[in-house]
Amino acid sequence: MNNTPLSESWINRINTAQLVLAGILIMTPTVWMVLSSFKPSFEVTAYPPTLLFSPTLENYRELIKTTPFFSYTVNSLIVTLGSAGLGLLFGIPAAFAVSWSRISWPAVLALAARMAPGTLFLLPWYVMFRQVGMIGSYTALILSHAVITLPIVIWVLLPSFDNIPRSVFEAAQVDGCSLMRILWKIALPLVGSGIAVAAILSFVFSWNYFLFALVLSNGDTKTLIAAAFNFVGEGSTQWGALMAAATLIALPPLILASIVQRWLVSGLTLGAVKG
Amino acid sequence: MSGNVLAMRVAVTAITLAAVTTAAHAADFDWKKFQGKTVTFLANNNPVSQALLTYKDDFEKLTGITLKVDGYQEQQMRQRLVTVMNAHSDEIDVFMTLPSREGEQFAAAGWYGDLSAMSKNEVSTDYDFAGLSQALLKAGTFGGKLTSMPMNIEGPILYFRTDILKKCGVEPPTTIKDIEAAAKKIKACDSTITPFVSRGLKPALAYTFSNMLHNIGGSYMANGKSNLCSAKGKEALDTYSGLLRDYGPPGVVNYSFQQISALYRTGRAAMSFESSNELRTVMEGGERLKDTGLAPFPAGEAGQVPTAIGWGMAVSAYSKQPDAAWYFVQWATSPQIQKRMAVQGIAPPRPAVANDPEYRKWIDEQPVRKQWQAALDVLATKGSSEVGYPIVANPESRDFIGQAVQDLILKQKTVDQACADADKGLDALIMQK
Amino acid sequence: MAFAANAVSPDRQRAELAALSAPAVLFTLAMIAFPVIYTIWLGFHSFSSTGRQSFAGLGNYAKLIADNEFWHGLWVTLALYVLSLALQLVLGVWLALLLFHAKRLPGIVRSLLISPFMMPPVVAGLMWLVILDPSIGAANYILTSLGLPPSDWLASPTWVIPTVALIDTWQWAPYVALIVLGGLQSLPPSVYEAAQIDGASPLKTFRRITLPLLLPTIVTATILRSVDLLRFFDIIYITTQGGPGNASNTLNIYGFRVGFEFFNIGYASALMLTLTAIVFGVVLAFNRLRGAVAW
Repeated sequence: MNNTPLSESWINRINTAQLVLAGILIMTPTVWMVLSSFKPSFEVTAYPPTLLFSPTLENYRELIKTTPFFSYTVNSLIVTLGSAGLGLLFGIPAAFAVSWSRISWPAVLALAARMAPGTLFLLPWYVMFRQVGMIGSYTALILSHAVITLPIVIWVLLPSFDNIPRSVFEAAQVDGCSLMRILWKIALPLVGSGIAVAAILSFVFSWNYFLFALVLSNGDTKTLIAAAFNFVGEGSTQWGALMAAATLIALPPLILASIVQRWLVSGLTLGAVKG
Repeated sequence: MSGNVLAMRVAVTAITLAAVTTAAHAADFDWKKFQGKTVTFLANNNPVSQALLTYKDDFEKLTGITLKVDGYQEQQMRQRLVTVMNAHSDEIDVFMTLPSREGEQFAAAGWYGDLSAMSKNEVSTDYDFAGLSQALLKAGTFGGKLTSMPMNIEGPILYFRTDILKKCGVEPPTTIKDIEAAAKKIKACDSTITPFVSRGLKPALAYTFSNMLHNIGGSYMANGKSNLCSAKGKEALDTYSGLLRDYGPPGVVNYSFQQISALYRTGRAAMSFESSNELRTVMEGGERLKDTGLAPFPAGEAGQVPTAIGWGMAVSAYSKQPDAAWYFVQWATSPQIQKRMAVQGIAPPRPAVANDPEYRKWIDEQPVRKQWQAALDVLATKGSSEVGYPIVANPESRDFIGQAVQDLILKQKTVDQACADADKGLDALIMQK
Repeated sequence: MAFAANAVSPDRQRAELAALSAPAVLFTLAMIAFPVIYTIWLGFHSFSSTGRQSFAGLGNYAKLIADNEFWHGLWVTLALYVLSLALQLVLGVWLALLLFHAKRLPGIVRSLLISPFMMPPVVAGLMWLVILDPSIGAANYILTSLGLPPSDWLASPTWVIPTVALIDTWQWAPYVALIVLGGLQSLPPSVYEAAQIDGASPLKTFRRITLPLLLPTIVTATILRSVDLLRFFDIIYITTQGGPGNASNTLNIYGFRVGFEFFNIGYASALMLTLTAIVFGVVLAFNRLRGAVAW
């Protein structure tokens, strides 16, 4: 299975070194952000930048006290899980159909919504949803966010479905199985890693999207990301609270990613693709 | 100066007494008239509204009206407001507005409800309409209609390090020329300190630049055309950009209030010209509490014409219940509420409140507060609300001003070129109807 | 179609395919039809300051073509796009390979390494604004400590676009890595096994085998990133607002300011539609590439 044992360990060492370098480059700003959330506000922009400081929980305490953090989080969860779920529900069959038929216009159409600047939708959607009295409803938020998650699901799953060798479907086709059945019983189990990626991405994009919530939500259904903006404004730039809010906002996607990334590790869901 | 202020105060008190006497003859005011209704308030989530909303429960108890608050950061709030107003929706009853920026535009678009009658006739006896800053009221009046009631007064002021000035043998500047001289001396005396910092960010710098232009005696418009290429206009452009270019921090072209306050607060700037609102941010951590002096921007050839603006509360023209909405507006801008906001650090647009003993006690607690209030007193009496061009397309005009200044800071054009290019674009803007 | 003999009639299969993609198609149409039509309608009108609208025909589009800001914005958008895309694809694939081969890496570490794009772009922008501040930022602090000259970063008209590209790459290369990783997982291991038995070097394996097989996934990542990069907004809005001057004024930023700060909805609509058309063109081009590569 190998070349000489020497070159294998040499390769491993290079890989590890690269990984460490990547880790440092990627994580340093994030670590700075998390550390800053434990600094008093004015120390965040102190110069020279301080590495050693006495940590305080004041920012978090202030955050929880002054903003309805919990209810914003619940709102965000409802909207994000709803829109991610809707995206998966509509997107998986669509991606399969596009891959099977090699007719790609449905996928391009779904992506069309992402080709326009988000601001294009603000006024028309406000007018639309106002007509049916749905401003401030979770439904309006879920529907608008699903416009973001649907194309992601479709486009991430397309190559996964494309990668399945046609021979795998042979037996089912000869049997006269419906496409739904083929999708459910055969194709779906084979694209576990694709679904994992689609789920993570849908969640993250919907979770961080504030533009639609800006006009379609009201005080009761405001999402968490809208709150993050409130900490930077003239007369009240609260860096500490902003970093604390940012850290808390980044947690749910991270937790989800940690759970779902198991499906990205090879061998766990792949099953019968070995040729 | 104090003589003028004293005279002003006497006058105001007299007017107040007169107003109260006449109003006392009016019918008794019924705060509970709109009990049970719900008023929706779109707020810019800044210290002004934050201070106001600490008393939200008081309002609801007093009137029986339920107050629904939607708070967003300034730019997001504006986005939401514009979307709702473009849709002619009745979703918002009351909103915060900045007349100096969008007043003309919103008034022309018919988004403001007319408050002229209500502010005279449907007020409680102690509302003291005449006690509000006349300058700010005028700034909120368009086409003869009063469109918003002032919530606070603010403007750019000079923050300076008394210790650094002393160390470098410089007196606190009283004229614009003094600033240039001081900056030069400070740069020679201590190279690690930024002598002067102010706004260089293109859409934001009109706020501070306007003050300098007015102090020098320049004007944005003359005979219906753009006037930046006048002698005074060029002098202002040259001086402002020169100060930032030669004595400002690296990267000043991106600087707005966040960076300016951070720079000054960490002790890296000797003089900072930024909004009075930033006092709290600058004093965080307490380092700058003892070594900061405050003053309105030093005088130019035309004396001191500081920029003084204020947030206003407006009733939406599409609101289905403007009367109930007005109750919230008048409560929020009444002397009692503005006094309570004042001790939270919100400079009141009522000279009478500024002299209230309780407020004075708060002010006297810290020398910086005293100087802050003194600076604001000047803004209240001499201030001009003109930030950018007094036309409907005011926000866009600020971009042209900003571009001209940035061209000079980055040495991409000569003064003549920069003002000419700006004037060309601005003339087209002025022509737009 | 390269399918085996099928017991299901083509008509029934067509109906089934339609049923599978119907929800997605109908949903998308229902949500975007009105906004698109409405915006097109707005683009054909001009709005006076008093809100009165008048039919302007192609007036807004003529104005667009004559508008220097538009062409400059197009240049900024494309420059930023190409630079960012190139960086993100290269670094994303690199990171994906690293993660793929580090099978024993704990899950939490793997999640952290792909985490930057999970940060709201607003927060990322503000964070980098502080880090890259020429006077009090950590970046220049590190540079000067190493004896290197400090940079103006976002405040330099020349360097603002590369700096923004760098910030965006920090955030989104891990996103590309995640997508490519998903693709790597679905590659048949048998191919690798054969290559290793033959004694191929890792570089050769990558070039000859992995890369061609990964191409469909990479094209997908390209399409997904292109759609977002061409509409570059958040980071620039938070940090430079299109400045210095208009050095970072992408079309999306320009259109936004025209619509929401200068209140010119007619012209803003024309700008937004033009941007949409550009993105559409790019996506079509890459989609064709995807078809060629995948099928």
